[in-house]
Amino acid sequence: METKWAVENLQTIRTLMERSVLYRRALAPIMILAGTIGIAAGLAGWLGRMESSREFVCLWVVTAISSLAGALFLMRRQALKDSEPFWSPPTRRVCQALLPAFFVGLVMACLILVFISGPGGEGIELILVILWVLFYGCAVHAAGFFMPRGIRWLGWIFIIVGCALLSSLSLGAHWVDHMQPNLLMGGIFGGLHLAYGIYLFFTEQKKPTT
Amino acid sequence: MNPDLFPQLNRVIHEKGRLAIMSALAAAPELTFTELRDLLDMTDGNLTTHIRTLQQEGFVSVAKSYQHNRPLTSCALTAAGRKAFAQYIDLLDQIVRQSKPK
Repeated sequence: METKWAVENLQTIRTLMERSVLYRRALAPIMILAGTIGIAAGLAGWLGRMESSREFVCLWVVTAISSLAGALFLMRRQALKDSEPFWSPPTRRVCQALLPAFFVGLVMACLILVFISGPGGEGIELILVILWVLFYGCAVHAAGFFMPRGIRWLGWIFIIVGCALLSSLSLGAHWVDHMQPNLLMGGIFGGLHLAYGIYLFFTEQKKPTT
Repeated sequence: MNPDLFPQLNRVIHEKGRLAIMSALAAAPELTFTELRDLLDMTDGNLTTHIRTLQQEGFVSVAKSYQHNRPLTSCALTAAGRKAFAQYIDLLDQIVRQSKPK
């Protein structure tokens, strides 16, 4: 009886200890970098007239990979600076939370690239923007359970923006049809990340506690 | 099984809510009141009462500061709290090990 109770208590303690370790590295530089890359990609796509669905998908997959690589580089640099392991349990949990939604977004991009892009696939970019925004919001919200709680608000903002675009599209709002997809991506992904990065820059605790 | 082990468990830590607070704080250098409340799904009053008890025992330190003009309460385990928690875990471990068939 006492043994069973002791085993259960030890398990509860272990679970609580694992859950209480939050990812606390400074997010401001990562958000500002992702925002800057996003806005630059949006402008490049617009000015470079990358309007076909194939060009659109390629541009934003490359942008996502560049942002991810930049974020990992900054995270590694912070870990080295603090003499801490890069692939720490909180980092691992954040990545695991992000992965499913990121994976679905990538699969959608690949399918569109292979089967839908080209003649007859016009207009798919807008649908893709909305789905990417929604999936990204869900991914950020999921990761927010292992990070300071503010990040979950960012996830909700993406989800609300995605839902607003979806509703506008469903209701046949003309302004959505006239939006340039690259600018929309740059504005939503780049703009929101940059705004959140600037907010964090002025409000984030300068010395991470974990 | 050694029957003397069970009474040796620290009564203050032994309470479910306080054990949860100690476990959470043992894994993080410090947690804010809000983070603890969200993590443990406790009410403000319940958490405050347990933290006060742990603070009186010298197991938890509470720091009050301001962040963006809003009050921020942070909690951390003291050295005595860390030691008491380690002893508690050790005793639980011994209880489990003693009951295992040899």
